Amino acid sequence: MTGLPASPEAPGSPEAPGPPANGAVEEPRRRLHPLSPVLHGAKSIAVVVAALSWQTLSQVGLERFALVVAVLALGVVVFSLINWLTTGYHVVGRELRISDGLLWRRNRAIPLERLQAVELRRPLLAQLTGLAELRLEVVGGSKTEAPLAYLTVRDAAALRERLLALAGRTPSVELRPDAGPQVAAPSLEQPLLRVSNRDLVISQLLTPQAFLLPVGVAFVVMQFVIEAQWSFIGIASTVTAMAGVLLQPARRILQDWDFRLARDPGGRLVVRFGLLETRSQVVPLHRVQSVGITWPLLWRAQKWLHLRLDIAGYAGEPGSDSKRSDRLLPVGDVTTARQLVWDVLPGVDLLTLATSPPPARARWLHPFALRYLGAGLTPEVFVSRWGLLTREMSVVPYARLQSVRVVQGPLQRLLGLATVYADTAGGRSGQARDRDLAEAWALAEQLALRARHARATFSQP
Amino acid sequence: MTSPPEHAVDALTPWPDTVAWRPVSPKLITVELITRVVWVVVLLAALAVGWALWPYWLWPAGMAVVVAYAIWRSFVTVRAVRAWGYAERDQDLLVKHGLLIRRLSIVPYARMQFVDVTAGPLERAFGLATVQLHTAAAASDAKVPGLPPGEASRLRDRLTALGEDRAEGL
Repeated sequence: MTGLPASPEAPGSPEAPGPPANGAVEEPRRRLHPLSPVLHGAKSIAVVVAALSWQTLSQVGLERFALVVAVLALGVVVFSLINWLTTGYHVVGRELRISDGLLWRRNRAIPLERLQAVELRRPLLAQLTGLAELRLEVVGGSKTEAPLAYLTVRDAAALRERLLALAGRTPSVELRPDAGPQVAAPSLEQPLLRVSNRDLVISQLLTPQAFLLPVGVAFVVMQFVIEAQWSFIGIASTVTAMAGVLLQPARRILQDWDFRLARDPGGRLVVRFGLLETRSQVVPLHRVQSVGITWPLLWRAQKWLHLRLDIAGYAGEPGSDSKRSDRLLPVGDVTTARQLVWDVLPGVDLLTLATSPPPARARWLHPFALRYLGAGLTPEVFVSRWGLLTREMSVVPYARLQSVRVVQGPLQRLLGLATVYADTAGGRSGQARDRDLAEAWALAEQLALRARHARATFSQP
Repeated sequence: MTSPPEHAVDALTPWPDTVAWRPVSPKLITVELITRVVWVVVLLAALAVGWALWPYWLWPAGMAVVVAYAIWRSFVTVRAVRAWGYAERDQDLLVKHGLLIRRLSIVPYARMQFVDVTAGPLERAFGLATVQLHTAAAASDAKVPGLPPGEASRLRDRLTALGEDRAEGL
């Protein structure tokens, strides 16, 4: 831990570190909260029980099952305890350093200028004990980097505020009069929106999975009637299996419960949601890579839509779509969405985003959905939309473009068409599908040009 | 589109053709062909063993298919290597490749996260290297294979120098 890079020994009290650019004040390594191993242990036990499954319970009997669980639990707790003893974190300059591991010691330095978003997660057990998990999203990390689990809520909020202040881009830190670490002041937050839980429940009932649920129940009932086998194990395992597959809407409801959006004094977006596990996520607005808008088929009667926020760093998390915190608006009407898009991407009006369709000969590739394909350039963003049943739209600000690609497949070559992709670090690309070849080249050139201008104005405000 | 591009775009000669494209080294053809020959030999050997153990007409037929496919692919390879090209503009790197599916990538230097220079054993034997530019977007592919080592290190140094002036995260 002595191998720090050559840093000037800046004098200063540890309570009030100096300006972030030059203040490399050595501060002591801190530990996570002492209750962390217990909470980790409890979580692992739940996983172990789930892995052993009902089948094992029926085979080995309750007592031996309990014994196995107890032994495993003890091992897990001891392991977590060792882990807790060896884990420490501290902030050095503009880096967060985390070291952990007993046999394989690992020291990670997380450069805070690459910080994309910070999330505070409080699972049920953590809520009961007043703790929270702090998760940092860093670009380039294949998964969430450095989940600090667990800290007290107060510590976590203070650390989050401090990290975000340090992570603030250098120009904006200089512009802000009160630069530097500040205590979280939730009262100063300006609330933007609150999604009513009634709308949330209705919206999740209007999903294909919810429609399938009665079918699943009927299937299970039929099975029991036919086989006349009413063992507890049978019912329990069937219910568990069904819950896993068919209860995604219920999970969504639990996750998005009491969804609130606010803007904190620094102009950052604060997203809070969750019932059993509450999450509160702070996203600096200049970290928004793209916004996705979805109109699901079943929501059309209500004229509802869904907004998605793409941030670099979440993209790498594989599979677990529902686990990601990428909601900007779980459900809402056009007026709300319009206001929200304006807040997140200033100058972008959802209702005036004009797109032009691909040429008519592209109907050979899209016999039905051609009408819904489109792409357009506005002064600030690249807009593309697609989808027949579930209509989708993606809005990519030019300043966030990473690269532009033009791809032409063999069928497209026959028709003289090409697809233009606008890649972002959020993992989802804006795509203008099947444009006329000349138009595709022009579009690519325009995207590259506008991205350059946007970058130039963005970096020198 | 909403606004006309800077210079006139002709459908027959769109602007990527007005850019000064640099080809990759023709020695890449040899490298690719050797790789293919090795694979074909391995496959043929496996099929020959099968034929020796269970004499059946499908084995030689398979061998014929493999050889025919390899010959066809070899012709394609020659054209595919010639289709690779890259161009350095003042603000971005252009890379084009592909015959069946044609791809063109425009990667601004400012978006560069890091540069990879790799050279496999066969590539090294022929004095070639591959330069790959990585951005924060996983989708962007800017890979230039078959560069002579001098050109590869020149490109790497130039990319790094151009990318350095913006150290900001994203």
